[in-house]
Amino acid sequence: MANVGDMVVGYATDENVRSRGASGGLVTAVLAAALEKGLVENVVVMKHINEFEAVPIITDNVEEVLASTGSLHSVPVNLAKYAVGRKVAMPAKPCDVQAVIEQGKREMIDLDNTYIVGLNCGGSMHPITTKKMLVEMYDIDPEDVIGEEIEKGKLIFKTKNGEEKAIAIDELEEAGFGRRESCRFCTLKIPVNADLACGNWGVIGDMAGNATFCQVMNEKGAKLLENAIEAGRIEVQPASDKAIAIRDKVNSVMEDLGSYLEKEIFPEIPDEERMQYYMDQMENCIDCGACKEVCPVCACGEDSKCTMFHSLVDNYKMSMYHLVRFMHLSDSCIACGQCSDVCPSDIPITLLQSRFSIPSQRRRNYQPGMNLDTPPFFEVMLK
Amino acid sequence: MKEMIYQTVCPGCNIGCGLYIRENEEGALTVDFMKSSSANLGKLCRFGMKLPHHYSKATSMVDGKEADIDAAVKAASDKLKGTRNVTMLAVGATTNEEHLGFTKIADALGTVVNTGIGAYEEIPSECHPSISQGIPLDDIENAGRIALFIDPYVQYPLLVRRLLAAKKNGATIVSLTCCDLNLADENVSINPADYKTELGLDSNSIIITDVNPHSDAEQVKNLLNLALVTGSKIMFMKPFVNSTGVHLLGKSAGQIGLHDIMDGINDGSIKTLVTLNSDLLELMPNTADAAETLEKLDDLVVITSIDGPVNEMATIVIATEPLYAKAGSFMNVEGQVLNNSGESTVGIDAMSTLSQNLGGEAFDFQAMHSKMMESVVRKFTAPKYSELECKVMETAAPAENSGNLISVYNPFMWCNQTDDNDFVIVNMNMVDKLGLQKGGMISLTSDAGSVNMRYTVRDIPDGLILTMKKLPVVTGNTTEVKAEAV
Repeated sequence: MANVGDMVVGYATDENVRSRGASGGLVTAVLAAALEKGLVENVVVMKHINEFEAVPIITDNVEEVLASTGSLHSVPVNLAKYAVGRKVAMPAKPCDVQAVIEQGKREMIDLDNTYIVGLNCGGSMHPITTKKMLVEMYDIDPEDVIGEEIEKGKLIFKTKNGEEKAIAIDELEEAGFGRRESCRFCTLKIPVNADLACGNWGVIGDMAGNATFCQVMNEKGAKLLENAIEAGRIEVQPASDKAIAIRDKVNSVMEDLGSYLEKEIFPEIPDEERMQYYMDQMENCIDCGACKEVCPVCACGEDSKCTMFHSLVDNYKMSMYHLVRFMHLSDSCIACGQCSDVCPSDIPITLLQSRFSIPSQRRRNYQPGMNLDTPPFFEVMLK
Repeated sequence: MKEMIYQTVCPGCNIGCGLYIRENEEGALTVDFMKSSSANLGKLCRFGMKLPHHYSKATSMVDGKEADIDAAVKAASDKLKGTRNVTMLAVGATTNEEHLGFTKIADALGTVVNTGIGAYEEIPSECHPSISQGIPLDDIENAGRIALFIDPYVQYPLLVRRLLAAKKNGATIVSLTCCDLNLADENVSINPADYKTELGLDSNSIIITDVNPHSDAEQVKNLLNLALVTGSKIMFMKPFVNSTGVHLLGKSAGQIGLHDIMDGINDGSIKTLVTLNSDLLELMPNTADAAETLEKLDDLVVITSIDGPVNEMATIVIATEPLYAKAGSFMNVEGQVLNNSGESTVGIDAMSTLSQNLGGEAFDFQAMHSKMMESVVRKFTAPKYSELECKVMETAAPAENSGNLISVYNPFMWCNQTDDNDFVIVNMNMVDKLGLQKGGMISLTSDAGSVNMRYTVRDIPDGLILTMKKLPVVTGNTTEVKAEAV
């Protein structure tokens, strides 16, 4: 019997899933069991493209879920679109979970039918930056990498020949590598907004590297975990006080680092310089619309407030399109960084948006995508 | 059917932007970002974002009636067998493997495949590899000075981030385009004779220009000379996804450009034309003129993956699978071979049958792929700039602008795809002179007709009008138009 608030350490019973999984394959087994036992009709899995990239696909095949185990950290994705009109389970990083919940608030998906297995995240890395970093900083051929891990402030890569190389994240980030910029100031590392919050922080002793720490966050999470236990897909045991304390400590260090870096990443801009600052940042926009297309919290569709201004004929150097988006997303932006990732002119849109959204959200004591209880402060009416 | 995910390359230009095309159960397409693509890091321009609109599937036709692909291939075989003076055109809008298959058909017909860029004919062949293959895109970011002869925002938008990175790394950028570029440190207008002395280029510089079916050969030669005398590197951007591949794979001897093909049709020396993913109604500046010319052909055989406007005029259409679904590869401007994840060989198989029916070789995808690997990949797998091997050429002055309306070629224009940014660019003096009203329209009239357009105002030379959209009034790279307020 699983209950809300339970903290357990567990692993997949299937030896193959367990050995291939990054941390004992518990997440894969929970998702497979949800599908197998009819708790959901589909599961979102990350299909491997290469060691540094995976794309979400939807499946109703248990074997495909089991085969998806062992994914490396991938950059955030818009998972909510796979939940539209479906009863679905999905693995998700904390920011992915936030986006799904924001879409739920806007009634784009039914969260009662969406089961989210959250994954701890110390930050994600862009595939190409990672490959360059491996060559320049680690002296590792990217083709040889089989796994990566963040531990004690270091980024560790494991290679085919069994070697591990670790470099301090600070050092990597100072050299222009490491985590994506939006991940550096993120302070949501354990997905307490998901139904289950899973990860390897707090997995100690013999279990280290072979099991997952799992916290049951709500009734759906309890159902997911219980279903997997009943299906015989996982074995769990209560987490020890020491394990819980270690997990809390790792989380606390990561949160502090995020808060510290936020001050570095967002230096104060004097009022009289702000207009010019935004104009300078935006002047190379080519109006491709990718930032809107990729945004996981945008729920407006093609015909919306911002797209009224989406034309080069009227706006070029300072597009009203962006200003409307800065305003409109200031309650829902989760700073996942996807808009910056896809910008063909490398405009740091996430940072610009965050200059609007972070102060707005803090002033209202509102953190987007954490639960359905707090309505967004713009427009949306909750039933 | 489950959702299919194809790893493919954007057909909008020759940068080679990787992307995913997702095809859902109902066949609807969406584009997704391939972040592990080194050419673009998953980023896409306006054209790339609208790609699903571009992939309208073609239907095989024989004499205006729908047919299955086998019937279309048989009809094409019957038409072409024994025909002399067949002209073949493939500009590079499909895979290396299909292009090689197409050359097999050309062999069977005793002709060559033309890639449509006439400027190549007038430039020494030892320069061709350097025109075909450019500079590794990463190298742009480390240049000291960059001379731009293209508008990157409009023509090749995925260059913008490279240029901005170069500036961040200390480069200065000089633009010689019609429209002042925001990212340029200097926007200048210089007589070509003074490029060498005025531009301040050296061996740490890069000249970025483009070569396309409408390029002026004298300007191409001038810029090659500039690279030779200054020691600067030169990068020729190109408009089609596999422009580099087809030039490296093809036979350059005996090729003619698009304009020569159209002239040949008009003077009756070309009676039969076979095209591979090359729609002359889209490629030529004026669609109506091109249609009038193509009407003069005895036979037009179109092999294509796209439901383009020329299909309706064709005697026979052999419809192949969409570009993203094909098995095969492309070569981007830096010389990198990029593979599709698709496995379909419908197009190659149809071409093999056609070749065989014409008395030529039968082949399959694997054979064409191996041939591509042998002839291209061994030389170009690691993109590297090839030093120019030609000598300074005699040049005439580049063609003078003979009109005031200038076409700024870009992916939307080459593909004749609808673009919501349908306006022309004028400067403030023209607004004042014509009395244009804010939010109003400008009327443009030429010998080819008249059109009303929205307009926007930028810093461009007095008297000029720029269009990024293919307009019915356009007759060439530049067109004399009468402009009036509406």
